[in-house]
Amino acid sequence: MSGRDVLRLGFVPLVDSVALMAAQELGLFQAEGVRVELVREVSWATVRDKIAVGALDGAHMLAPLAIAATLGIGSDPAPMIAPVVLNLTGPSITLSGRVSAAMRDEPSAAALADLVRRRREEGSSPLTFASVYPYSVHTYLLRGWLAAAGIDPDRDVRLTVAPPSRMAELLDGGVVEGFCAGEPWNRVAVSAGSGRIVARAADLRERTPDKVFGVTRDWAADNPDALLALVRAIHAAADWLAAPDHRDAAAEMLSAPHYIGVDADLIEPGLDEMVQQHGAATAPDPADAIWLVGEMLRCGQAPAGTNAEAVAAEVFRRDLYEAALPPSA
Amino acid sequence: MRVLVIDPDPARAALVAEGLAGGDPVEVRHALAYDEAEARRFEPDVVVIAADSPDRDTLESLREASLANPRPVVMFVDRSEPGLAEEAIRAGVAAYVVDGLAAGRVRAVLEVAMTRFQLMHQLRQDLARAKADLASRKTVERAKALLMKERGLDEDAAYKLLRKLSMDTGRNLGAVAADLLAFAGVLKGDQP
Repeated sequence: MSGRDVLRLGFVPLVDSVALMAAQELGLFQAEGVRVELVREVSWATVRDKIAVGALDGAHMLAPLAIAATLGIGSDPAPMIAPVVLNLTGPSITLSGRVSAAMRDEPSAAALADLVRRRREEGSSPLTFASVYPYSVHTYLLRGWLAAAGIDPDRDVRLTVAPPSRMAELLDGGVVEGFCAGEPWNRVAVSAGSGRIVARAADLRERTPDKVFGVTRDWAADNPDALLALVRAIHAAADWLAAPDHRDAAAEMLSAPHYIGVDADLIEPGLDEMVQQHGAATAPDPADAIWLVGEMLRCGQAPAGTNAEAVAAEVFRRDLYEAALPPSA
Repeated sequence: MRVLVIDPDPARAALVAEGLAGGDPVEVRHALAYDEAEARRFEPDVVVIAADSPDRDTLESLREASLANPRPVVMFVDRSEPGLAEEAIRAGVAAYVVDGLAAGRVRAVLEVAMTRFQLMHQLRQDLARAKADLASRKTVERAKALLMKERGLDEDAAYKLLRKLSMDTGRNLGAVAADLLAFAGVLKGDQP
């Protein structure tokens, strides 16, 4: 064991951390013989650092963060593994009311491209868009969405990073004109009257390896039984969530102030989208990690020559998932 | 050297800033949140940031954008001293440094910040304990008053009875008093 009776697992307040809360509230961790304390964190950098030094045993994390930490991109190398996937439905894109109103057509990527062109001709400053972390599907999807409409994400706009819970306020203040973030933060911005959703998760990419449950490779080696117990409990929670009847209760659970602290009505739609698209899928697929490494290479985050297959196999540990949940013959 | 302290906890930020201002020629500013325009004007050499600030992720993206950003930042990790970064994370502090700053100067800043974070943590704990003590004393007073009224005891006898209950059950006086008040409420029909 990790030298602790109670395992400390970190999460960032987002709908896709729901499997951890459900496993805790329904006693699924306990049923697997592990005691867990869920610790709320407000930044991915702190999640990464706390896991690396052992202040957390495991956490809800961005899949690309696990890859970046393993490769030592953006921090000292801290090899991490993902034995179970938390969600495959990605973030949405929300634009400010200001920018939406300035468009000639219904807000869309094409209408945005037109606006960006006009602003450039007028000599106006480039618009700023926010993602939630440099190493995140949010960054890759936002760049892809802009690029597909003919907007160069490096030259035609300014890209920045901001905490999802602050996006509505940043739209209001004119600090950013659009953002790509997970739920409930798009709906929170809409309900605050700060923006409108222009592209939903499923429009951006059908299958998006977004969050995983991650631990360090060393922790996994030192705590093999606890690790498999956690994987089983998280999978059982995902199974429970797959039933539409349970969505109300799950949204209510997440709305608690120590979890997300947002009205259940704003949480439930995102939860529905997340589950409806991919059900209780929790098995890590190295093909997803290969796609992520490709994106990291494409925007210059990973060094050229990075072996995507090798990194994918190292981080996305299907073998551990299957050790916990043997595929039925 | 210019140090920017980012901390959503204003009292702690002030404590860190005060600690730093005494040392090495330092200009210190503190803010609740990271503001890029403000930071650009101040041009800090070191940004000390609370681990519980959501702005850490924004700072990490500045390093990513180092081509466009004339003042790239790196997270401070001094390899010559293993354990320092780990200690800082456990204390709840992170530091971002403009590339090229001497490690010794950064270390001194980080150490002051860590000490002040720990001091603040201690102060908060002491305050919480003092509040709990006060609440418990008030509960004991009310339980005593209840016993005096219902059992016709004098103050001393009521206190002795509470003490005996506490020793018999092995629980502290405040907890026994709180139970007594709760049960009295139920018996009187205040609660279901």
